[in-house]
Amino acid sequence: MFVQRRTKGGIFAAAVVAAAALVASALPAHAETGVTSSTIKLGVTIPLTGAAAPGYNKIPAAMNAYFSYVNANGGVNGRQIKLVVKDDAYSPAQTLSVTNDLILKDKVFALVGTLGTANNEATTRLVNSQGVPRLFVNTGFSGFADMKKYPTTFPLFPSYATEAKVMGKYLADNFAGHKVALIYQDDDFGMDALKGFGTAGTNFVAKIPYAALSQADPSVVGKWITSIVAAGADTVVMFGVTSATGALAGGLYKANLIGKVQLILGSVGSDGTTLKGLLGPLAPALAGSIAASFLPSPADATDEYITQFKAINAQYNAGATFDNNVLVGMNTAMLTVQALRAAGTSPTRASLIKAIETKGSTWASAAFSPILYSPTSHVGYTGYWFGKLGLDGNAVSVDGPGKYTLYTTDSGSAPVVKACNSSSNASEGIA
Amino acid sequence: MKISSTYKKVAVLAASALAALAFTSAPTAAHAAPACDGKVPVTSCIGATSDGAPYSMMVPANFNGTVYLYSHGYRYNVDIPSAIPLIGGYKITNTPQPGPNATIIGYLLSKGYAVMGSGFARQGWNGDSGVATDVELINTFKTQFTKTTHVIAWGESLGGFITQGLAEKLGTQLSAAAPLCMASSTVEAELKMAGDFLWGVKTFFDPSIKAGNYSAGAAGYAEAMTDLGKVFTVMGKLQAGIGKELVTGAPSWPDTTPAAVKSMLGTIPSRSALLLIGLMAGLPAQSAHFDGTTGPGSPNSSSYTGFALLGSPALAILENGTNAAALAILATLDVEQQAGGATFDNTKTDYAAQVASEASTYSAALSGSTATNGMLAYLAAAPRATANPAAVTKMRSLLQWTGKISVPEVTMVGVSDPITPAGDSTYLANQYAAQYAAQIKANIKNHLPRGSSNLISIYGLTPTHYTTFDATGSPVTSTPAANGTNHCNFTTAQYKTVADLLAYASTNGKHLSGGPLLTAVRKMGGSTVDLKFQAALPKYYSQD
Repeated sequence: MFVQRRTKGGIFAAAVVAAAALVASALPAHAETGVTSSTIKLGVTIPLTGAAAPGYNKIPAAMNAYFSYVNANGGVNGRQIKLVVKDDAYSPAQTLSVTNDLILKDKVFALVGTLGTANNEATTRLVNSQGVPRLFVNTGFSGFADMKKYPTTFPLFPSYATEAKVMGKYLADNFAGHKVALIYQDDDFGMDALKGFGTAGTNFVAKIPYAALSQADPSVVGKWITSIVAAGADTVVMFGVTSATGALAGGLYKANLIGKVQLILGSVGSDGTTLKGLLGPLAPALAGSIAASFLPSPADATDEYITQFKAINAQYNAGATFDNNVLVGMNTAMLTVQALRAAGTSPTRASLIKAIETKGSTWASAAFSPILYSPTSHVGYTGYWFGKLGLDGNAVSVDGPGKYTLYTTDSGSAPVVKACNSSSNASEGIA
Repeated sequence: MKISSTYKKVAVLAASALAALAFTSAPTAAHAAPACDGKVPVTSCIGATSDGAPYSMMVPANFNGTVYLYSHGYRYNVDIPSAIPLIGGYKITNTPQPGPNATIIGYLLSKGYAVMGSGFARQGWNGDSGVATDVELINTFKTQFTKTTHVIAWGESLGGFITQGLAEKLGTQLSAAAPLCMASSTVEAELKMAGDFLWGVKTFFDPSIKAGNYSAGAAGYAEAMTDLGKVFTVMGKLQAGIGKELVTGAPSWPDTTPAAVKSMLGTIPSRSALLLIGLMAGLPAQSAHFDGTTGPGSPNSSSYTGFALLGSPALAILENGTNAAALAILATLDVEQQAGGATFDNTKTDYAAQVASEASTYSAALSGSTATNGMLAYLAAAPRATANPAAVTKMRSLLQWTGKISVPEVTMVGVSDPITPAGDSTYLANQYAAQYAAQIKANIKNHLPRGSSNLISIYGLTPTHYTTFDATGSPVTSTPAANGTNHCNFTTAQYKTVADLLAYASTNGKHLSGGPLLTAVRKMGGSTVDLKFQAALPKYYSQD
């Protein structure tokens, strides 16, 4: 049984400041890599340049903004958090190279929010051999929850398999009788989704794989459109990155199919701000598309986390446009701070991992679903809600502003559970 | 996108790393004692061991009692006709080699150390005879130069293998050792990577390549030379094809590709097929000139990302694989002749398992999971190579090292060495780790100090970016190989640091450690000595 649980952000923020004040004056010398008496050094790899950079390149600044907010309030047990940011341009080889630097030269205590399935795969041997905690990876590949293969890695996002199962349920509830096509990235990302759709029993009139980055090739997009038309699809599920969503929108526009095909977008490919940047004047054509999300809408003025993060963003992030990527960055940083605090006044890599495993499920988080960390589980979030993209690119819940119907499940065969709305724990189990 | 230039210079560079450097003239006949010229400040001696291996000794006037014994790497044991591309014109040589290069020899001599090394009696895979030659050489030196107090052994590639074998045989008769860019623990392990890759080239791109099981005698030699020509030719075609693919996006396979491959896999770029067989063999996906991280133009352009992510890994395999395939042919011919039949066997090899983790990392360059699975399905159904059981038994009787370490040792290897993978050094470290743990346990039980580790493992790291492009956007392959790439590609500073670490250990009976060690390694540049660093093990040891 999955239920919703959220911790009040305001309470948490006050606790951060109070805890810091208590210990700031009596810190012991410390021998753990990346930790001194006054600092904790963390590292993140992420595409700051290259075709995959748009949108994701905002995340490190958002993380740093949150860390600056915490540092200004005394830090973590008196230590200031320093985040070393490395650009990997989404290339696994570059991820490995810069991670070598982070671990062997910069001597970071832990990695946080490293982005990309293949990119995290590329560094696994290094991370495992060094015993470096890899917190809240920025990918939904369900394999990273395998504690034997990735003992120091903590996924945060709901898995892509979970997302597909949830989406399958949503399709069954709302698009019965429709002809649905699936476009998916042909790697572990997409394979995870296929697994979830298979468990959900979702039938597609066409399954259209594409190799990562091939969406930049117009002929590839042309084949998508041809397949959609040939299958007679009236609904298209896109399980790809944001640039693939943009390419699909462009292809549909050229084929005069905008408005004739309902788009349903996976969570990693639906950030409105990024799509606006990619599509320019064509962006409003995506209005009405349905998107899955696990964090609240960045435009939700009623959400306490959004309100607090926006205030931090205004003060410490030069007022960057507040969108899903900024939200992800701040939420990741907020969880990191709680993990560091829980690791104790003399944190070690082992104590950090133990803290997450034993206490992580209780921490404040902007998402609606609980975190399932435990000594036997590295599974993070488990649920999504659905929204419709507005003309401004932001998703608004299909149930109305501030109202979220959450669907939760696991990456395996557990049923999808549909919670009635965000303010209630009432739920209905659906096999 | 056009791929510029030729890979000739690259392949020649690597081939020269495999071959010997000539320092002194070989004697014409064996001698019981060395013939020394008596010159000052350095006395040079030459001679031959009882098995006919010519050797060279160089002893400075201020000899301090310590001699460095160097074992050179693999030299082909057949002449290569000049008509063969890239490595044609090679002649068998047993010229003695007393050190890595003239600069390092001069460095050691200037500090009062003597140096020596042989050219070995037999070229090719010569572990057993190489160790025997080195043992005799040590005794000859000590007899000739009675002031000798310490013997340090070091060597590269196959010479690293011989050095480890020698260290395990002599134990504390040596005072320190350094198997550099060392070959795998057995010839079988060493040839698996090259054999898997060559089989992949044959299966995907040119089935007329024999790829082992060569005939005896002259006929087998001719078959191997023909294979060399075919492999270099098909690599050239792949190079051209990949260039076209990166420009047009349309697959371009060599014209020697089997019809069945074209029929089943023809919609997949040939670069993906080449990358797949490189990864499944365990070849590094970074090479001398291709980093997998850099493209032409602006870093924010799709062409930059596209080249870095899709093209560069395949081009790295092309650059690395050319050398691996040449080794596969020539070393296989050699070992088959020694063993009396075919030694490479992949009838039970699960290539899907061998490439499992890399397939995820390089999914985009492999054209996605569907394409990867299709290629692996073809390979699974393709005819396999079968070894001769008697020949395998004989091959396995050849010298192998176990990882036993009795005196301070230093290993050093680039993380993207395409001939002797860094994982070979990691395998040695792993083997020694168990020995060291037992030693600590015994010491504690006997109320003795824990004792320090006898092994320092140095890994040369690749820079984040090193691929360069000309004004037309074509990659440049004429620049020196990047740090951490190519075979036994070390700088003078790196050689000197290893030599200094060995000297310290030889004098003190234990390694330099702590801050001074880290400082020494930092100063030599491009390397890590992190105790926890683990390179990927070769596929022979682990289907990781």
